[in-house]
Amino acid sequence: MRILLVEDNARLAELVRDGLDRLGFAVDWYDSIEGAEHAQQVSHYDLLLVDLGLPDGDGLDLIRAMRRRRNSIPIMVLTARGGLDDRVAGLDAGADDYLVKPFQIPELAARCRALLRRPGSSIDTVLTAGNITLDPSERSVCVAGTVIDATPREVALLEQLLRRSGHVVAKTGLESALYSMDAEVTPNALEATVSRLRKRLLAAEADVQIKTVHGVGYALFAPRLANG
Amino acid sequence: MDNAATSAPIGTGPSLFRQIAVRLAILTVVFAVLNIAIVVITYSRQPESLAQELLSLEASRLAASPDTADVHEGLPGSTHWQVRYLNQPMVHDPDHAMTHARAALVDWTQRERTSTGHRISGVRTIVQNGQQRWLFMQFEGEGLRPYVPVIWAEILQHAVLPLVPLSLLMLTFNIFAVRRVLDPLRQAEKEVDGLDPDNMAARLYEPIAPREVHTLVCAVNRALGRLEGAIAILRTFTANAAHELRTPLAIMQLGIDRLPESRDREELSRDNLYMTRLVGQMLDLAQADALMIDEAHTVDLADTARAVVTALAPKAFEQDRELRFEQAGDTVALGHDEAIFRVIRNLIDNALAHTSGGSPIEIVAGPGPQFSVRDYGKGISAADREHIFERFWRGDRCASDGAGLGLGIVKRLVEAHGGKIDVEDPPGGGTLFRIRLQSPS
Repeated sequence: MRILLVEDNARLAELVRDGLDRLGFAVDWYDSIEGAEHAQQVSHYDLLLVDLGLPDGDGLDLIRAMRRRRNSIPIMVLTARGGLDDRVAGLDAGADDYLVKPFQIPELAARCRALLRRPGSSIDTVLTAGNITLDPSERSVCVAGTVIDATPREVALLEQLLRRSGHVVAKTGLESALYSMDAEVTPNALEATVSRLRKRLLAAEADVQIKTVHGVGYALFAPRLANG
Repeated sequence: MDNAATSAPIGTGPSLFRQIAVRLAILTVVFAVLNIAIVVITYSRQPESLAQELLSLEASRLAASPDTADVHEGLPGSTHWQVRYLNQPMVHDPDHAMTHARAALVDWTQRERTSTGHRISGVRTIVQNGQQRWLFMQFEGEGLRPYVPVIWAEILQHAVLPLVPLSLLMLTFNIFAVRRVLDPLRQAEKEVDGLDPDNMAARLYEPIAPREVHTLVCAVNRALGRLEGAIAILRTFTANAAHELRTPLAIMQLGIDRLPESRDREELSRDNLYMTRLVGQMLDLAQADALMIDEAHTVDLADTARAVVTALAPKAFEQDRELRFEQAGDTVALGHDEAIFRVIRNLIDNALAHTSGGSPIEIVAGPGPQFSVRDYGKGISAADREHIFERFWRGDRCASDGAGLGLGIVKRLVEAHGGKIDVEDPPGGGTLFRIRLQSPS
């Protein structure tokens, strides 16, 4: 995974590059729009991290120019600009995510992974949280190394929750994932599936928790997060 | 900011109308006195015309009262008084003494000096009962005393009569003129009372006339311009300073995270997060102060509330807390999505910080353009309620890690939306913040 970081603050860039390097990302750093454009002509990148206030222009202009050239590389804005309209402006310009400084490396890495998640990418061939793993290609779930029985619907649900582990996944998103599996879905299908999956994971002594966020959706927490 | 409604104190000094009225009255009196003095001086220098007027006055007085008894009463102050009707007009001819004349022109006056004073004699034509008669009058007197009635009549005629209507006219004119002229001032006063530090772009209407009011209003407007500049500098400074602090804070955070794990690192990280939060809130507040909502901004409160709950639920679960969301009906409101997001986020953060024990926090959107955030804590005392929206106020001082800006941000953002915040005591305990916004037009 090669990441292109465009940031004019050398110290911050060094820390970000160092932090992401430790988590297995390869980061190239440039401090100007010109440098970033040049780097993209020379090498291929999977993700772009762009600061907005750059010495030779605005990062938003770089994003717009790239999108006009039909460059569909995932782009995340890293900025100090946190005004009421700034996030929308960033996303409107064509960015896929918008992270306001200051941030911590784990959060940045999680967001990078979310943007990089593509079919065939090595990072998410196997989804892991706590002692459970899910292999999307084989549609199999393991708890503590042992494969457990699960219906295709339960696997689909777990996959969605694992992909956004530690985050709330909206009911609507989960429902559409289940509907695509099966035409006949009752109004309580989601609740019923969650309930069965919880029992199954509990029986298999999995250490993750599926939490209900009433009126919004569900979230899967690995033990470290769940215990604070 | 909330005291804008207090009425301006009524001035204790006299009104402009009264000041002008008093001056006009003084002017009128001085004018009258001057007028009287001029009349007196003029006539005392012209005894001839004074004598003439005196006889004319007496003749008209006698003509008005046909009773002949009055004829012999005489003038006050006169020593000898003689009056009689003539059958034939007499013509005064200084050369031939008194002669019977053939002409109709008969009125004459003669003034002579006597050893004691003066003698005045003369004839006046009067009309009595439609009949023309001739009246001969003669009297002797001393000094000015006999002339008093005529001088008084003259004063009445030349000074008092013209001055009374003039004074009344001036007074009436004064009422209208002052009211009219001061109208722009009153208008300006109303506008000044309506000035709001949150809307520093407002200026007073500058009347073309009167020029004095125009200059004053222009001067006030110039002062407002300088004030706006100063406030803008203050606000942008806060915003810029907070903004500029973000990158160093990010560097510090990442630097701390790189240190080997230790208790010191944990503490440093926590301190840095606190500072990050404070800087973020100061920036949020500065942005909230600058927020302007126009008619085009609409927000679905349920969508926004769901987004906030989605963002904060992991943090709540970490603290063994639970967020519950419920949508009650249609929830479209006039509002700025990101601003409403911050309102809800701050209210939930506040509830998380000030309640404990695993109790849930309930967020309800709707029905209509309203939403509420409710906790099951110990509630907010009536005394504290007055302060919770003040900036940098913290009820428990040290128990929470906040800077006391969260609810201030909420208040400012809701105000910018033309909305209303109510703090309620829901059945079952705890506190319920209810925000009412406006419906999109």
